[in-house]
Amino acid sequence: MGGISLNYLVRRLLVFFLTLWVAATLIFIIPRLAPGDPIAAMVARLSYQAGFVENSNLIIEGWKERFGLNDPVYVQYVRYLTGLLRGDLGYSMARFPSTVSELVGRALPWTLGLVGVATVIFFVVGNLCGALLVWNKTPRMVRVMIPISMMFTSIPPLLAGLLLVYVFGFLFKWFPQTYSYGFGMTPALTLEFIANVIHHGFLPAMAIVLVTFGYWALGMRGMMITIEGEDYMILAQAKGLKPFYVLYRYMIRNAILPQMTALAVSIGTLVNGAVLVEVIFNYNGMGTLIFTALREQDFGLIQGTSFILITTSALAVLIIDLSYPLIDPRISLEGR
Amino acid sequence: MSEKRNGSDSRTVLKVEKLRIHYATPQGDVIAVSDISFNLYEGETLGLVGESGCGKSTTAYGILQLVQPPGYIVNGSIEVDGTEVLNLEEEELRKFRWTGLSLIPQGAMNSLNPTMRVKDQITDVIEAHEGKQKDREALRERIFELFSNVGLPNRIYNMYPHELSGGMKQRVCIAMGVALHPTVVIADEATSALDVVVQRIVAQTLIKVKDEIGVSLIVIGHDMGLLAQIVDRIAVMYAGKMVEIAPVENVYAKPLHPYTQLLIDSIPSIKERKPLKITEGITHDPRNPPSGCIFRLRCPFAWQHCAEVEPPQIMVEDLHEVACHLYDEQFHERRANALATIANS
Amino acid sequence: MAEDITVKDAPVAGGTKKAGLLNRFDNPWLNWKFLSGAGILGFMFFLIFLGYQLWDTDLALSARAPLNLPPVGFSNWRGQEGIPEHPLGTENSGRDMLALWIVGTPRTIFVGVVAATVGMIAGIILGFMAGFLGGIFDDVIRLAVDIAITIPSLLVLIVIQAVLGRVDLLTMALLISLFSWATPTRYIRAQVLSMRESGYVQMARLSGVPVRDIMFKEIMPNLLPYLAASYIGNMQGAIISAVGLEVLGFGPQRIPSLGVAIFFSIEAGALFRNMWWWWGVPTVTLSIVFVALLLISLGLDEVANPRLRKAN
Repeated sequence: MGGISLNYLVRRLLVFFLTLWVAATLIFIIPRLAPGDPIAAMVARLSYQAGFVENSNLIIEGWKERFGLNDPVYVQYVRYLTGLLRGDLGYSMARFPSTVSELVGRALPWTLGLVGVATVIFFVVGNLCGALLVWNKTPRMVRVMIPISMMFTSIPPLLAGLLLVYVFGFLFKWFPQTYSYGFGMTPALTLEFIANVIHHGFLPAMAIVLVTFGYWALGMRGMMITIEGEDYMILAQAKGLKPFYVLYRYMIRNAILPQMTALAVSIGTLVNGAVLVEVIFNYNGMGTLIFTALREQDFGLIQGTSFILITTSALAVLIIDLSYPLIDPRISLEGR
Repeated sequence: MSEKRNGSDSRTVLKVEKLRIHYATPQGDVIAVSDISFNLYEGETLGLVGESGCGKSTTAYGILQLVQPPGYIVNGSIEVDGTEVLNLEEEELRKFRWTGLSLIPQGAMNSLNPTMRVKDQITDVIEAHEGKQKDREALRERIFELFSNVGLPNRIYNMYPHELSGGMKQRVCIAMGVALHPTVVIADEATSALDVVVQRIVAQTLIKVKDEIGVSLIVIGHDMGLLAQIVDRIAVMYAGKMVEIAPVENVYAKPLHPYTQLLIDSIPSIKERKPLKITEGITHDPRNPPSGCIFRLRCPFAWQHCAEVEPPQIMVEDLHEVACHLYDEQFHERRANALATIANS
Repeated sequence: MAEDITVKDAPVAGGTKKAGLLNRFDNPWLNWKFLSGAGILGFMFFLIFLGYQLWDTDLALSARAPLNLPPVGFSNWRGQEGIPEHPLGTENSGRDMLALWIVGTPRTIFVGVVAATVGMIAGIILGFMAGFLGGIFDDVIRLAVDIAITIPSLLVLIVIQAVLGRVDLLTMALLISLFSWATPTRYIRAQVLSMRESGYVQMARLSGVPVRDIMFKEIMPNLLPYLAASYIGNMQGAIISAVGLEVLGFGPQRIPSLGVAIFFSIEAGALFRNMWWWWGVPTVTLSIVFVALLLISLGLDEVANPRLRKAN
């Protein structure tokens, strides 16, 4: 394997860093584009909530000074960007003096775990189902079952989550309805805790998997049909290879390449869905954190959480993009 | 050119009888191959020629049991070494493939799996039929030997198809095709997509390998000039029918069927300039072939009888058959006139 | 599929049977997926239209009906039976669920249509520019698309809405459309690129047909099924974003749409008070809309790609 060509690598990295820069800039500019002074308004609301009504002006000024809002915009911008580079996301306004980094650091692993596991499941199951729909040796039963199992495809994960938590959480009580582990448990690497986490994560993960894998099955089916018409498939048949070998070495192996590209493209949508699923299940990841921050009008936390989630998505896309040349031997040489 | 000449007393390795293949279309079936019969003898190279759409490739894929829907075999019999291929059960057919009949496709195109190394694509066919090869070193030597048979350098062992030139891919296909020493090898337009020089070299490689390994070969093509140099006999197809099958020197020296004459006439010569004969190709609707002789609509010699009776394959001499009423003894006067016309033109 | 048909199981009559089967696909637009998807949506709009004629839509406002009534034939946790005046029940601020359904469903679809249309128009312009003009246009647009697709749009929308607060539906639709141009652009660019290389477009170029005519007379007609499928996909995405924002609490609240109804129900803990009709009506409605849209886009895929048709 020739590895990754320089051209490809440079372009992918460029996209990655530009994405981070665009996201950071958007998050910085948007509040400053709004009419009035939303930050002052928020600070004011905050101080009001805290009960300081008297001398609120002074307090606002104090907060502004503290967050450096009196400096010219470009100074703020540069300070903000250099802060990001150092991994400094500022303070949570509602939970001062907690830093955004602390809060995000507690939430991010749960989201990564949930979305990561769900992604592996829907990608594997979806592609397998799609391949079996086209393979001519698939048992009739399976061929009938797959389309039936795909009937939830395209429903937003949020709605699937609602249905699942009602039926299996509330009515049947098979699974817990909220949070990522049982109340009163301490996170530890024990079998009991892991089983508990899986028990809690099952419904949220299913909410993502159930509505998503059908898309992958359909995409895979289309790719498999295209590949079925390729010349090398006729040769594979003429060679008298074993059917299962033809399925995975000739068909799936070639059909999976475009599916990887599609996965990179769909990461953004996936994260959108996961945020909302977390809210439904009150799962203590990034989605719920951002929801709480919205409630508390904690603008610093909203900004920080969004930025970290966008960074994580971009990183996932970068990893997929960079692994792509490793599985497609044609890419490394052509440099595209 | 192959030195060997085989008479009909040689052993028959492939016997095709009344093979008929249709393609289903919304407007009715297209008759792609219409009751074709021929024999292939041990060690022989048979050329299958005809214009595009005449059914020569479909015939090959029919013999290989590779007709893709909407095509299907209507009837016929295909015997390889006494085995009736059409009666094989699925797993028997799988095992029979490549050991009985193998295919050399247009390798310059897309016939190699783009995500597998050359060595793996040869290994998989060996392992599919001979089981897992424990001795990797011996396997490698075996593949190297196949490479040297077809004149490929050993360095391509670990390469992917996209790293090879068109000629190299074609040789890989040849090496793969003979890897299991099959009884019959079918080369489907194996040289068509290559440039002229590479075409010659690949064709010579094909014949060299064939003689070394001792298989029987069917070569499908439309380049009459190239085929003349590599085959022993030529079968000419027109609109799904076999119109003439003859030793190669007969076909060029005294083509019998009017269509064969047309084909031979259309070979351009660099020695003399002559106006190209413009012919319009197959003119009838392939769903509704004309009654009687398939060629009568374009035949300069056709008469009433041709529309009424389908010409049988007439054996004019050993190994030379033609499907034309002119060679029926009761019409020998017409034949004489026709031959005179040709001589004058 | 490479099933060999042998002498044994292929009588000549098999040919005509197959021919009949192929005939059915002669008009690609007449496939059951497209028709049933469009049929479901059509029927839903018909019901909504009837609803506007026959039902008092003012009941969708708060405090117009008794609170927390279940649908007819069920009872709530207080043992109250559903009454025919409010066949789908009511929620905890006294909105009638049937009226809410009649009013809310078209509002939700409206957001999808507006955002998808704006995004699509931008996508067509950018996609054609990138695919047809190439060069620096292509580089810049490709880069922008790559970036826009990587960023989960909901997060930026959350930041925007956190600043703006609650907005009306049109504003929300326009905000969503800021993020719904990238996918169509990417898709159209790829299609235009492949068509530009195809024989008939090359032919038209060589024979001196103006670029504009090539775009609109040669490429556009062949692109139509792709554009339609892409538009439907865009609509799905836009509705998902809208519902997402509404569930997070950003929707207009006086006259609710379906997503806002879900937001209220979650806020009020409807799940755990077993008021399934409250979130169930909007959830099931949205699910049906999404399945219908999926069926339409699958049907359009088959129109655009004959191979998928044959494989059925």
